[in-house]
Amino acid sequence: MPPPTKPAPVEITRAGDRDVQIRWNDGRTVVYPARFLRMACPCDHCVDEMTGRRVLQESSVPLDVHPLAIEPVGRYAISLRFSDGHSTGIFTWEWLSHLAAELGQPASAVTTPNNPH
Amino acid sequence: MPTQEQVLTALRKVMDPDLHRDIVTLGFVRDLKIDQGKVSFSVVLTTPACPVKDRLKEESEQAVRAIPGVDQVTVDMRSDVRPAPPPPGLNLVPGVRNIVPVGSGKGGVGKSTVSANLAVALAKSGARVGLMDADVYGPSIPTILGITELPTPGTKGIRPVVAHGVKVISSGFFMKPGQAVIWRGPMLGKLIDQFLSDVEWGELDYLVIDLPPGTGDVQLTLCQRVPLTGAVIVSTPQDVALTVAQKALDMFRQLRCPILGIIENMSYFICPHCGERENIFDTGGAERAAAEWGVPLLGRIPLATGIRIASDSGRPIILDEPDSSSARAFLEISQNLAAQISIQNMKETAEPALKISF
Repeated sequence: MPPPTKPAPVEITRAGDRDVQIRWNDGRTVVYPARFLRMACPCDHCVDEMTGRRVLQESSVPLDVHPLAIEPVGRYAISLRFSDGHSTGIFTWEWLSHLAAELGQPASAVTTPNNPH
Repeated sequence: MPTQEQVLTALRKVMDPDLHRDIVTLGFVRDLKIDQGKVSFSVVLTTPACPVKDRLKEESEQAVRAIPGVDQVTVDMRSDVRPAPPPPGLNLVPGVRNIVPVGSGKGGVGKSTVSANLAVALAKSGARVGLMDADVYGPSIPTILGITELPTPGTKGIRPVVAHGVKVISSGFFMKPGQAVIWRGPMLGKLIDQFLSDVEWGELDYLVIDLPPGTGDVQLTLCQRVPLTGAVIVSTPQDVALTVAQKALDMFRQLRCPILGIIENMSYFICPHCGERENIFDTGGAERAAAEWGVPLLGRIPLATGIRIASDSGRPIILDEPDSSSARAFLEISQNLAAQISIQNMKETAEPALKISF
């Protein structure tokens, strides 16, 4: 059987001053708060490669951290360059879709960033 | 005198069997001229390697000839390979319309022979074709295509070697014979970057990339750097090869690179002495796998001494023995591949492309 349509963003824009808004191919629009994204970085500096445990300390991340630039990675992910100089994370569509579920509500209603891990 | 509307209505009955739409809706019909009873027009296909070119020509002619008042029909069959939709961000190879990596799970399944013959077959059909030998550990394209010269410096980068109508670049050009490549991942990534951006590919309809086996750094770098039209997977028919091929397929799916199809190589052996067919590595395995994975089977290539001899002597069998069953298999597969590329690009154009504005 051909695989079902997988989640993929259609449009990635800015929401407010520093948050990221993604419109998905299923029609949903999700706003990812800036610091939430930084805390959710999946790179091996932020997550232990072997155990999957998050090693990034919340206290080490500036409160006003936000993405400065977003670049596409192939057709499966984006990379984010953050204001704290961090830029090694590759956010795949699967990861961003998982994060949307974690945000757990229509994005417009999300005002306070939750800590994902 | 027939009207333009009558002619177009008649041509709307001619369907492209791969794209499932009529040739007028697809925008294939151009330069329509009507002079009394004489009608002439062009049909511009999406690839010169179109497997149904003759059939479309005949059907178009017949459809127009059936209009009252028409006594002469001239159809000019042409092609213009449509590019894959542009991705957001930087395009490293702006002149290349379609990038098609040829991968496998296992090594030794004949990936390089298949890539080389497909590239030559596409070029023979009239397409502009490049072939990148990205198998850094065992570059064999120079041998298969009989290339003895080296690439030369161009105005902006490296000028590829042209062999049998195909622009070729290979890591083999930059190593001494017998020298092993012992590199860590980042070096492999750099080489792929160079092969993409520092080679003067120019305008190409198809860039075929012969990958190393497996699911490693070269594949990953490629999927991250450039928009791939879709990947081709080569496998032999036995279960052990297909199980590993599925991993390659899974990698491309995870990286959101479409799969254009599977090619079954060493599919069967026809004894040159008695003519009996022997399924050395089993047969039909790729067909079952293709059905299970939901991807097209592009075709089967026999295990034939002629292919081995042609590859070793640097004259692709498709040119050297065009009437052999092996050459015909390659030709048919190249046409099926070109058709799948057209279908894929049509599908993508229908979907919204990702926009990033931040």
